[in-house]
Amino acid sequence: MEENSIGKAREIARSAITGGFDEAAVMLFDRRRSYLKIANSKIDSIVEKKDIYAMMFASSRKRNFFTNIEDLSKKGIEERIRRARSMVERQKPKDDYYGMANGPFKYKGRDLADRNILACINCTMEDIAGNAISGAEDAGRGNAVAGMLQVGHLKTFLATSNGAEASGTSTYARLNLRIYNDRSAFQDVAVSRRLNDIMPHGMGTKAGEMFRMGNGREGKIEKGTYDVIYLQLPAGLLLSNINSMACISSVETGSYLAGKMGKQVANRNVNIYDDGASPELVGSSRFDAEGYPTQKTPIIRNGVLENYLHNYSTAMKYKKKSTGNAGLVLPSPNTTVVECRKTVDDVRSLVSKVDKGILVTNTWYTRFSNYLKGDFSTVPRDLAYYIENGEIKFSIRQTKTENMVGIRISDNMIRMMENVDYAARDARQTSSWDYEEGSYVAPSVLVRGANVTVA
Amino acid sequence: MWISKFDENIAEYALMLASRMGEYAEAYLERSYSTAYSMEQGELTGGAFNDSTGLRIRIISEKKLYTLSTNKIEESEIRALLDKLIKFNGKEVEMSEERVEQDDYVVREKEIIEDEALLSSLLEIDKRVKGIGYVKYRSVYADAGKATSYFVNSDGTRIGAELPYVSAFAAMTVSAGGDSRQRMLQFGGTGGLELFDPGAICERLESEAGALRNVIKTGKTLAKAELAGITNVVVSPEIIGIAVHESIGHPSEADRVFGREAAQAGTSYLGPGDLGIEIGSEKVTIADDPTIKGSYGFYLYDDEGVKARKKVIVRGGKQDALLVNREYANDLKIRSNSSARSDMYSNEPLVRMSNTYLERGELGLEELVEVAKEGIYIKSFTEWNIDDTRSFARYQGNEAYLIRNGRISTPVKNYALEAKTLDFWHAVRELGSDFELTLGECGKGEPVQGVPVTMGGPHALLCFG
Repeated sequence: MEENSIGKAREIARSAITGGFDEAAVMLFDRRRSYLKIANSKIDSIVEKKDIYAMMFASSRKRNFFTNIEDLSKKGIEERIRRARSMVERQKPKDDYYGMANGPFKYKGRDLADRNILACINCTMEDIAGNAISGAEDAGRGNAVAGMLQVGHLKTFLATSNGAEASGTSTYARLNLRIYNDRSAFQDVAVSRRLNDIMPHGMGTKAGEMFRMGNGREGKIEKGTYDVIYLQLPAGLLLSNINSMACISSVETGSYLAGKMGKQVANRNVNIYDDGASPELVGSSRFDAEGYPTQKTPIIRNGVLENYLHNYSTAMKYKKKSTGNAGLVLPSPNTTVVECRKTVDDVRSLVSKVDKGILVTNTWYTRFSNYLKGDFSTVPRDLAYYIENGEIKFSIRQTKTENMVGIRISDNMIRMMENVDYAARDARQTSSWDYEEGSYVAPSVLVRGANVTVA
Repeated sequence: MWISKFDENIAEYALMLASRMGEYAEAYLERSYSTAYSMEQGELTGGAFNDSTGLRIRIISEKKLYTLSTNKIEESEIRALLDKLIKFNGKEVEMSEERVEQDDYVVREKEIIEDEALLSSLLEIDKRVKGIGYVKYRSVYADAGKATSYFVNSDGTRIGAELPYVSAFAAMTVSAGGDSRQRMLQFGGTGGLELFDPGAICERLESEAGALRNVIKTGKTLAKAELAGITNVVVSPEIIGIAVHESIGHPSEADRVFGREAAQAGTSYLGPGDLGIEIGSEKVTIADDPTIKGSYGFYLYDDEGVKARKKVIVRGGKQDALLVNREYANDLKIRSNSSARSDMYSNEPLVRMSNTYLERGELGLEELVEVAKEGIYIKSFTEWNIDDTRSFARYQGNEAYLIRNGRISTPVKNYALEAKTLDFWHAVRELGSDFELTLGECGKGEPVQGVPVTMGGPHALLCFG
């Protein structure tokens, strides 16, 4: 199967050259994914997806073209190449295109595929969901649970006209659980290449611990300036924006990281990496879309902006080396890894460092008013606690009741990074529910002095 | 029709096999393609052509719902897919009784979209935006294509559809004196090149860029006390549109109301028994209508084969209906109001909006401003967000002005309309006679599905306090 698939990718790349393109990169995907939805503490439905298709990038005299190919027959490939030629001939050259990476390449290590996930696709999803539901119910009376268990088995085959060839087989499991009652809610997402790393019952236990931190006290806060503790889920979600904005294509079209190379953009204790090479991380791969080996690239080291993310062409343009971030269209981020050297044991220790603040367990609807400046606002979703003099005082009512208050954090990415003061030693791989095939690694962080409004 | 007899036979074959496995079955076969070009800072990133063919099968077996999909359109593949069906114990699902429909419908392009025309239009837009000296960064994107589908279910419904679309997207950063403002706009609809007018798009971009430059150069930053004193706000169709979509349309989706999206797109301030409750002032009537010709959210049958119709969600300030698919219609013992949509064959149909809007009134913008006398006029917004239950939202003004003595005056840099949903809709005092719909891609579900929608209405005067 593997040789056949690599052969098919090679055949498409060769057809592109025969068809008049100067170079081509082809990725062939064979994917099987299963989704089990949980709602109102019951399994709601199951979705099964299976697809095989190729994606091709091809260039002719600096005129670039992207396409998918689902009909992988000789006729289907030839028809698509003809279509590509007719479109590309009308285009004007992309003057700052410098070609694709020249292979062959050697790749370190191997992708991680867990046999248990293949077995899971066939039979054990219901058991995992059952454990998740019972875990939520054990965590407290009246708790309900909603969520999604997702497992996937992905095979990727790559061939380029410049001599790169690679393949990978990987698996992933994601469990998104939101555990809620009539007073509050707590959401978490477990992500791993290995099924056994997903602890469905334990997620309920954690939710129970989080609910108990406030000892049942509830209250409101006024708008103002607060220190904010973000748990891993929201910390990673917010800070993974750094990797998107560090892609050179973002820098060229208006990023808050533009013009800041070599400058202090974060607290000197903060390091942020783009990691494509770690097999443990969902979203990683040993090779990028032009076959270049992926790597762990420091974007911010000791608070200083150190690298933008490049594919081969953009690296040539700026006289750099590729960072292994080629997407089929533009450079794209791999996984985000956040580190902070100034650490404390856990979230309770972070709380002890706060005079007046809030603890945020989840955020959503992070929207930028200006990417060039980095101004954004985000809405804390679910459980949030008010902290005073190093202690949690009460939970801020965010569920639908007459006493409900809505809190919103308005901040700036550079200001936020500069004000990351402490992190807990609890970094782990997680992901947002709407970030399907990627992940990030982040600890819980304490950010000083954010602007919070209340509605 | 692009769907061939072979496709119909495959779908019928899938239905025949799936029907043996449960009390309800459906098959949906879709073929789609799109052509796109994108430019960044004047460089043509590239052209793209993508197509997709696939089959979705849904089965209700022993009252459990299963969705299966594949892009391999072969009988053997369908058999293999159904053979591996995982049975589970969980929520019981039944479909509402609906009229059996048998129809084909085609939206014809008045002007066929050729690749060359799409590319030349994009180049024209980029050139014009480049000509605006104070636009520091620009990205433009154009996309056109067509989706054809064949839906068949075990009730006897059979629907063929062919829907072309065109869409253009522009993002620009306006810069002056070290400050900047950003603007993103989308244009297009369901149809052909007649919906894609580069000249009109360029005029709009030039006009908005000029206005934003004016905000940067002459805009006033209001002090906290001034901001706190603002009670009258005139909002444009764009602001009304996002508010209608986010704070009325989404919380009226039955799957949110019943908790199915609790871990994803969120819940609702509405409960299942909240029909008739007061949402806003008596001026507020809000509808969702997929049958608006040429609109980006257009369809005549939803993805469960139910005939599309206009639904009034809020009538005279009171919640009048939820958006429902067949599953939730059955739970509520009503008929589906044709709100089931998926973004492609491989995803399950969810309860979705289409074209959602506030019904218009009788006043002109000048009259609204005159009634407001003192306050703010927000013409466009940048960031926006809303909570899980859709109870409180913020719309950050981008192009906004003070209203002084009943007239639009100085630009304002820092006004954000932040209000509880019910306060917002109760504050609606007067409505404009104009009407405009804005395009969007609405995200929901896990994996996230983006479906084309529009949102809008007239200008409106909101009086808080």
